[in-house]
Parts: sequence; C-alpha cells; structure tokens
Amino acid sequence: MALPLPPGLTHAEVAFLAEMELVTVVPRQRLESIDLLAGKTPPLRPPHRADLPLWLALLLKKQRRANIVPPPWLHPSSLSALIHRETKEHPTAFSDPPPPPARADPSRPGIAHRQDAYNNSTDTPLSAPFRPSCTADAPAGYLPYHWQEVAEALLAHAGDDVAAAAASSSSSSSSSSAVGEVRGLLRDLVEVRAAKMRSSTAALEGFGGGLMSLRGVGALELAESRAFVLAVVDGVRKIGASVEAARREEEEEAREEEDEGPAGRGESDEEMGI
Amino acid sequence: MSYYDIDSILTDAEKIPCTFQLDVPDLGYLDNTPTQPLKSGTKVGLPLWLAEMLAIANTGDVEGKSFVSFDLPRALGNDVLQALKADPRAVPLRDQSAHFYALATRMMELSEEQELPAVLRRTFVTRASEIALHARKVGGVGHSKGKGAAEEGSNLGIGGAGDEFLRGLDEWERNLFRKAHDGAKAGKEWMEGVKKH
Repeated sequence: MALPLPPGLTHAEVAFLAEMELVTVVPRQRLESIDLLAGKTPPLRPPHRADLPLWLALLLKKQRRANIVPPPWLHPSSLSALIHRETKEHPTAFSDPPPPPARADPSRPGIAHRQDAYNNSTDTPLSAPFRPSCTADAPAGYLPYHWQEVAEALLAHAGDDVAAAAASSSSSSSSSSAVGEVRGLLRDLVEVRAAKMRSSTAALEGFGGGLMSLRGVGALELAESRAFVLAVVDGVRKIGASVEAARREEEEEAREEEDEGPAGRGESDEEMGI
Repeated sequence: MSYYDIDSILTDAEKIPCTFQLDVPDLGYLDNTPTQPLKSGTKVGLPLWLAEMLAIANTGDVEGKSFVSFDLPRALGNDVLQALKADPRAVPLRDQSAHFYALATRMMELSEEQELPAVLRRTFVTRASEIALHARKVGGVGHSKGKGAAEEGSNLGIGGAGDEFLRGLDEWERNLFRKAHDGAKAGKEWMEGVKKH
C-alpha cells in the first residue's frame, strides 16, 4: 500500500492528458510557429484558422489573443441527437466512437476508403489521443475519447465562443442561455451514460455469457467507474471460482479418459478393484 | 485472500451448524455437559475454520467417517435463497451475515450445491447496479448541504428510501459502494475545480 491512489488515472490526470487534444482557433494576433516537444505549432495569421493543443488555445483565449472554434459535436443539435440515440435507438449500448478518417474514392463514387498508415503515404494517426477529434473538422454526432474533459474546459474558459457557435443556428438569442443549453444537454448525456454503466453490470449475470462492452466510453467516465467495474467483475469471478474449478476438473478428467487408450483403461479398472 | 486479510479471518469465525459423527471424549463442554463425552449425532455450531478441518480430517475410522458433517448455515438456507430468487434487492444480506458473499464462496468450495452459485451471481450483479445508483445519489445529498434547498430536496427522497437498502449491504457490497462513491465524488470535485484554473 505504498501509493494511496486507486489504480488507473485520476480525474485531474485524465484532464491533463486531454489538454493535448488539438482544437481549432481563430487567432486575433500574429504568432510565429513555436517549437514544442510535440512538434511545431502552425504560425498564426489572423483571419486563418489553425489547430493548436488545447492548453495553448486556452492560454491564448485567456489573453484574448484567439477565439476557439468549438468542435461540431459540442453543438446543441449534435448533443440532442446523441441523447436521442443513447436513449431511444440504442438504450443498452454506448454510442460509437468517431469513425476512422475516410477518404472518398474518386474512381468509384459513393464509396469511401478508410485511411490508414499502411496503404497511405501520409501517416494518419488512428488511435484516440492523436487524432484531431476535437477540431472544427471533427464529425458531429460522435463523442471522442476526451469528450467530457474538452467540453468542460471549453465551457468554463471559452463559454462565449461555444455560445456564439450554438446561437448562430439555434433560436436562443442570448449567449448565457445558449451556454446553459449546452451545459444542460451535457449533464443529460453524462447521466444517461452513467446509468448505462451501472446497468451494464447486469450483463455479467449468466455464467460464461458475462461481457460488458465499454466501446465508446470516454476517458473521464472510465476514471470515474473504473474501481467500481473492476470490483464487480472481481466479485463475480470469486463467486464463480468454485464452479469454474469444478468445470476444469471435469474437463481434465474427460481429456484424460480420451488420452488413455484401452491399455490405460485396464489399469484404472484395476485401481477401482482395490 | 491474503493471510492478513481481516475480512477473511472474520469469515473463518462464522458459525456453521455441524453434526458429530463420532463420540469424542472430553469435548462434552461444547454441548453443556462437561462431565460426559460428546455423543455422536450432537449438533454444535462450530466456526468455519474448525468445521472445515474436522470435516476433511482423516479419523482412521474403518467406515471412512469424518468427525463432523456440516449443513449450510442459516444465512445460506433455503428461506434466504428463495427470498433472493424472488427479489435480490429486498433482502438485507447484512442481517444474515456481515460477510455473506465471503461465507458463501467458502461454503461453495466445500459443498456441491448446484443452485447456489447461479442465485448468488444474479444477486450480486443486480444489487451492484442498485448500489452504484445509491452511491451517486448519496454523494449528491452529502455534497449539496448548505447549497440551494431545491437541489437538496430533489435528492433527499432517494437518499431516505435508500437508507434501509444501504444498511443491508454486506462487506463486499460496502466495498463496492465505497468505490462507486469515491469515483462519483472525485468526478464532482473535478467538475467544480475546472472553473478555477
């Protein structure tokens, strides 16, 4: 018990990792490219958009040097579509993570191919933290891995930008009500998914058939329920341990009987006789 | 189960109803008759660790009898199992035994009860999701003290109704509750801290 922290990452650590996500900013001032450990940032030229890491974008936002373009999935219409999908269409599964980047095939219209690093010269990163899933180009209607952290950070520090994006197409006129709308929808989404996480334990009921699919669950949700889910699975394992041991023994015996030829069977018969 | 696991030690101390199969001299005091030998067929409640030893131990008897034969304790008796089958959430497991699941797993290792594992598994899983729900709600009540009365009121009903359920949790389930609650609490604390940085 050297480390009092539970296994896995804490919320603060997850949120720290989420600051590596790229977000789109609209700069207000020129800024030359900065040489960071993770690579060079694009040079900022005022009317042109650029993708920056979240921490840098928030820093510039606080200094009023840039505005952040919230990702499309943070729009109220996308969020309410997600809530609809989570509650009505797939009441038992989490909604899918964003699809891997695809590119339309010019020779066959209507068909798109997955971009991956193997058959493409441009190395497109496919794993969650390195994909630009929170930029303005991200697909709407899909929650990326760090959705909750990024959404909270944007709402807390760039609420006016979120409101501007939300109000531009919705009926709500004042910016505070638009932020409230997004915040409320996010709360609903968090609650719906937390309820799903709880009820997904019921999938472990049957012997052998127990499987909880956690596909599409965000990093923060994992941090929150990791200890609980692990404890449930461990408890089910302990309860099933004796049955499992008995089943193993049976299988072992069956296999030994198969392996032993007629000669072997004779021996065991003798033993029985004694 | 580690050697120093206090819950495992306490589980070992749970009483199991045992029936002696042999006469044992000088053990009469177990049955409140100190002067006489303990007769075979006497029913005595023995702690699990002793019952396990005596049931397995080789007595050297010709017929291969062991010292004792044991039944399932009352906590795992038919009444409780029927109640669990009807509705796992309605049974206060702590009233049966504070280490209900630990005791049950130990008993399942010793006896070949067909029905027990399936019932227990269903019970555990059904109650787990209920526990997680309460863990979230109770955190809400505790947290909203001193805040708006409306928020407190919205959670109070659930917290009040859950008290009885939460009192009936055994040690495994309390552990689950603690973990779910810690997670929810950490989430809430982080959420409040976001605005400050």
